Amino acid sequence: MTRFLIIVVLVALLGMGAYFYLNRTDTAEGTAPPIAGAPSSADVLARGEYLTKAADCIACHTVPGTGSAFAGGVAFKLPFGTIYSPNITADEASGIGNWSDNDFVRAVREGIRNDGQHLYPAFPYTSYTQLSRSDVLAIKAYLFSLPKISQANKANDLSFPYNQRWAMGFWNAAFFKSQRFTPDPSQSQQWNSGKYLTIALGHCAECHTPRNFGFGLEHGNELAGEELQGWRAYNITSDPQHGIGAWSDSDIASYLTTGHADGRGSAAGPMAEAVENSLRFLNPADAAALATYLRTVPAREGKDPITIDATAAPTLASNNAAPGGDNANADNPGLKLFEGACASCHQWNGKGQQTSYASLLGTRGVNDVHGTNVTQILLHGAGPHALAPNIFMPEFGNAYSDTDIASLTNYVIGHFGNKQGNVTPDEVAQRRKQL
Amino acid sequence: MLSLSVNGQAYPVDVPDDMPLLWVLRDVIGLTGTKFGCGIAQCGACTVHLDGQAVRSCVLPVGSIGNRAITTIEAVGNTPSGQKIQQAWLDVDVVQCGYCQSGQIMSAAALLQRTPNPNDADIDAAMSGNICRCGTYVRIRAAIKQAATGKQEILQTLVSAPEGAKS
Repeated sequence: MTRFLIIVVLVALLGMGAYFYLNRTDTAEGTAPPIAGAPSSADVLARGEYLTKAADCIACHTVPGTGSAFAGGVAFKLPFGTIYSPNITADEASGIGNWSDNDFVRAVREGIRNDGQHLYPAFPYTSYTQLSRSDVLAIKAYLFSLPKISQANKANDLSFPYNQRWAMGFWNAAFFKSQRFTPDPSQSQQWNSGKYLTIALGHCAECHTPRNFGFGLEHGNELAGEELQGWRAYNITSDPQHGIGAWSDSDIASYLTTGHADGRGSAAGPMAEAVENSLRFLNPADAAALATYLRTVPAREGKDPITIDATAAPTLASNNAAPGGDNANADNPGLKLFEGACASCHQWNGKGQQTSYASLLGTRGVNDVHGTNVTQILLHGAGPHALAPNIFMPEFGNAYSDTDIASLTNYVIGHFGNKQGNVTPDEVAQRRKQL
Repeated sequence: MLSLSVNGQAYPVDVPDDMPLLWVLRDVIGLTGTKFGCGIAQCGACTVHLDGQAVRSCVLPVGSIGNRAITTIEAVGNTPSGQKIQQAWLDVDVVQCGYCQSGQIMSAAALLQRTPNPNDADIDAAMSGNICRCGTYVRIRAAIKQAATGKQEILQTLVSAPEGAKS
């Protein structure tokens, strides 16, 4: 009996040891590589504003259209319930006005609130942990310079056991490592700046890196693409076939800062938000640095790789005003829908008539046989956004049935991607509920 | 200040680049033959030609036009295909309420310009984006074929009084 108790105590001690060892905090202040848009010589508020934009804080902490910047309340619908982002204005009662510098730095880099409770990793402290203390405090200074907004936080709606914040300590032990950014001296300064922008500030991995069974990032599969909240975040590794390895520097820069690259695609959904709220404000040198880093991300195929056919035969056989080689499709309901509602802007040859944003040939959306993002854009529309205020795609979710959307998506995949799409009405019904 | 070439005439217009062409045509230049329908390129009422191609002017930012030639319903009758289409429209009496017909005629004229002898599939592909609430589709199809071939497709409108009738 005594021996048994000793074993129990030993196992418990080992477990506690492992828990605390895995949850240890990197005590380093951290140094950031040079960021062109936020030089260390600049005023702290100017740096903070740029870094806040580069970190895209506003996207999650501001309900679109309310004008209540950083007052929180944005809903995140996850498989285990709904989380609402908190108020991060300097309001003392409902925001973070009473937080000390150390409180703020700990929340951003370790995921622990000022009351000691764990934050959920919907907040990307998993990426922000790499930030330097001086950058985090510049962001705090900027947030505290903005108007205080009194808006109470909404309570999360999570089921047991996900509503137990302490349990995130175990999640952190398994999937989170507190770690400051360390420059790689064998790489250029530009590359290091790009890496900091990509993995720390831009937290690109949070959407673009596949997640494991426990919703932790698969670091060995960095940026190979993932589906979340009903949208597909594409593979952005250097893989020339499935990633962005074949994109030119100007393609990448144009996509990041305008949301469109000719012959590559146009951002919609969450990526359009990232461009609108964050990436378009990047200094050109920073956008170039980001692209420099992305180019060196090892090529990976990722899950359900998309193979682009940039010379899809049915598209090339068509002219701007009429389909060619689609005789077999003449009675296809997808074709009928396309000719009535889509062709006048997108054109049968996929070039896009009113705007290059409407071009379809060569884009990943129409080459994805699951049609994930195409169905989302059909259902929910796209744009207009600040950069192209008059360019938008109408939403068809209220006009078309699930069967209509499925057959239209499959037709689009066939005509512009030269592949057999496999979207079913049931999948459309699922995606209808998202976003 | 932009300069637009509309129906062969240059119009200097002082408007924001992102204003849709339809607004410029109707409210700034005063050419009101082109109609506003849905505002999202789904009904075709606002169709005009840009270098002979049918475009939906309600979603076309004026700044993206450059020096391409704009043709509207007011002047499409000066083009050979537009002239034929308008004559056939009169002969067949396509129009009922008429609101969508500027757009229908512009799409049909662009079709005839590039496909002088369109078959049913060509007509479907070109005209599906133009919606007519009165349902004049049957007469539209007949009029396009009649404009192409010169042969009467369906019952024609009486254009002169029958012999013996009092005038």
